[in-house]
Amino acid sequence: MGSEIISSIDATTAGVAPVSPAPNNAVIAVRGLTKVFKDFWGRPKARAVDRVDFEVRRGEVFGLLGPNGSGKSTTVKILLGLLYPTQGHVEVFGHSPRHVATKARIGYLPEESYLYRYLDSGETLDFFGNLFHLSPRERRQRSEQLLEMVGLSQVRRRTVGEFSKGMQRRIGLAQALINDPDLVVLDEPTAGLDPIGCREVKDLILALAARGKTVLLSSHLLADVEDVCNRVVIYYGGRIQAMGTLKELLATPDAIRITVPILPRDILERVLEILRREAGPDRVRLDNPTQNLESYFLGVVERAKQSEATSGATSGHRVAAYLRGEDQAVPSVDRALERFARPAEPESPRVTTAPREPAVDESRLAALSQGGPPSPPPTPPATPAAAPPNLDQADQRLTDLLGGKS
Amino acid sequence: MRPVVAIARLTLKAAFRFRLVPVLALLLIGGVLLLPAVIKDDGTARGLTQIVLTYTLGLITAVLGLTTLWLACGTLAGDIEDCQLQVVAVKPVARWQIWLGKWLGILILDALLLGLCAGTVFLQLQWRARHLSPAQQEVLRNEIFVARGSAREVIPDLDPVIDEILKKRREEPDFARLPRADARRMVADQVRAQYQVVLPGYTRIWRINLAEHAAALRDRPLYLRIKFFAVDRALTGTYEGLWEAGPPSASQRVGQVFSHAAETFHEFPLPPNLLDTEGVLTVEYTNQNPTALFFPIEDGFEVLYHQGSFATNYMRGVLVVFCWLALLAAVGLAAASFLSFPVAAFFALGLLILSFSTGTMKNIVEQGTIREVDHDTGMVAEPNWFDHTSVGAFRAALWTVNLVRDFSPIEALSTGRTVSWTTLARAFGQIVVLVGGLFAAFGVLVFTRRELATAQGKV
Repeated sequence: MGSEIISSIDATTAGVAPVSPAPNNAVIAVRGLTKVFKDFWGRPKARAVDRVDFEVRRGEVFGLLGPNGSGKSTTVKILLGLLYPTQGHVEVFGHSPRHVATKARIGYLPEESYLYRYLDSGETLDFFGNLFHLSPRERRQRSEQLLEMVGLSQVRRRTVGEFSKGMQRRIGLAQALINDPDLVVLDEPTAGLDPIGCREVKDLILALAARGKTVLLSSHLLADVEDVCNRVVIYYGGRIQAMGTLKELLATPDAIRITVPILPRDILERVLEILRREAGPDRVRLDNPTQNLESYFLGVVERAKQSEATSGATSGHRVAAYLRGEDQAVPSVDRALERFARPAEPESPRVTTAPREPAVDESRLAALSQGGPPSPPPTPPATPAAAPPNLDQADQRLTDLLGGKS
Repeated sequence: MRPVVAIARLTLKAAFRFRLVPVLALLLIGGVLLLPAVIKDDGTARGLTQIVLTYTLGLITAVLGLTTLWLACGTLAGDIEDCQLQVVAVKPVARWQIWLGKWLGILILDALLLGLCAGTVFLQLQWRARHLSPAQQEVLRNEIFVARGSAREVIPDLDPVIDEILKKRREEPDFARLPRADARRMVADQVRAQYQVVLPGYTRIWRINLAEHAAALRDRPLYLRIKFFAVDRALTGTYEGLWEAGPPSASQRVGQVFSHAAETFHEFPLPPNLLDTEGVLTVEYTNQNPTALFFPIEDGFEVLYHQGSFATNYMRGVLVVFCWLALLAAVGLAAASFLSFPVAAFFALGLLILSFSTGTMKNIVEQGTIREVDHDTGMVAEPNWFDHTSVGAFRAALWTVNLVRDFSPIEALSTGRTVSWTTLARAFGQIVVLVGGLFAAFGVLVFTRRELATAQGKV
């Protein structure tokens, strides 16, 4: 039975890029960062960021989390050299954010679609490719792959100004990846996207992380950050209020959750009896596992896609080949691949705690033990099982999620 | 270089996609074609030239100049305000490359539009010239459809002479009481008058050395271009005088009495082969009026001679106009480097208007103040630090503006005078490299230091 137990922590965080970065390979280093906006006369107007310190290490998906106006975007813009710090020290790849050559390693998706509205998709990517000194052949190839990836290949001749907000986000994402960046900075990447688009973006982030890319994700959407980030900082009022891995921040160490298949009533009762005896009768809870709304929605749409047609942007397709590293003559030493290939370190116990929950409902126990269909139906969890997949499996999963069937 | 070209192409694309180019081209070509149709010429070669060449080229320069200024402000400030530059500036592109790319894009756009319009003017001029009388067509061929060099009398440096006379006059008690600047001005006027004033019954002789061009000028006519002022107004409005040209005792020497109005330019031909053996042209003018006439040293007397073809000259003249447009683009971009769109445009327009106020600037520099001056002396009584600072600034501004306004390509083309390659190179150096470079350096510096993400965007 033990082999059938599925750790809920595995189920909810299997999508997160499993990185164990070395402490000295910081891609971004921020120390004592303060940004004060001033008025025309130089008088302080607003302290947007206040004495912030953090590091982002190579291969991490790092989240900047916080409510609107908390200083996330200001931090991002300082990291990109679009704003200058009032105090403190910022380094990106060991250089000042204003170091021009370093920018060749960065991809940036701003919070809004700040693209040229009179260019079409192809021209947009060609223009930005030129800024990275890409050859015409490279620009053409990458543009095709990116447009295919973000589902805009069929509307490549439509100008960006005619795009819906979601389509603009997609082309914005494509331009951020035209240079195959080592550091991808995404400011509210899922803003304006439908749930499918959100999922695609999150899967793309995971695919990038699997290739050893560093991703800095700024968002106020908790689900986005929770689904993909290794570490987060939580901003409020321009200051960091909390920082750490999701596990550190979210785990409740004094409780555990056990998930098992439907069992006969007598076995369940025996188990519960033991648990009640050990933990106390009011501290044991029994219920059906549920999938989250995003997973359920994606399942519905996936079924509908088999019979319905749509206009506008299609679901994205396979991640661009050059982003998967297939274009490189010698595949990059993909630490992510190593990570995926390495046997997972056993977690003991392979369960995590959850917030305190109500006591067992006897009638519910009866219903469950009869093997009747639970509500909602027990579909597989949206995120994969605990066993770490290799890179091909990750790609295949990503391809399916990004609409590879269509 | 690739990013610079990419940004230039982007700027160009924007102008086409926003229909600026087709609309402006239509307006300009429409104006060029309609202007001569609305304003009728007097059937003379000069009348035709005035309207078809001078007015239309002036119109093109003015409209394209203002458009360039406006566009330069809009393209940079607009991109900053719409936050589009945030996405560009995070790519491996230096800020100066963005700035230069914008400048290059506007220059290509200007070259396209200016080339199109100037070509239309040229063709229209050729076409309309066919409708002139044969005599006027001859005038057009000799005086307009030609590139003519210009020669003036070489005036020696008068300052040492002025200083010497001033020194002697200052020994006189009455003269010594005058402020030195006033006294010097009076002496200078007297000295210069020897070269400029022709008293009644007197003869003024000009000797122009054309030895360098003597061979090329064999059997070709020369043209005198004159302008004078009269001390007293004549009842008839014109002033008679005997003009003689050629070596004093030579058989080919010619002479004729002309009656000319004052305060305007007059041009008349001289027969070929009037140079002496050393290549010097001698021209004498005998004043037959009861009043003194005044020929300014700067533009009172000029000899024009054939130097080249009109087409090449026209191209060079248009290129000088292009240099002005390049400068205006730099001014607009420099303004947009630190100001938002409408403000930048008005600031740049303000600079343009100021540059037309050279008279005021010159007065300030001469008077030594921007405050009220002593009415007796025309100078400020006791200049203070404010006078020194402001006058210094105005002197620098005047010097800069003069670098730009030192060229008159449209007037040169309208009078069939050569815009030489040297003039074109000088125009490029002074207008584009020096003054344009100053604005570019300022613009790039400010733009590089500017925080681009303070704009929240309109998207």
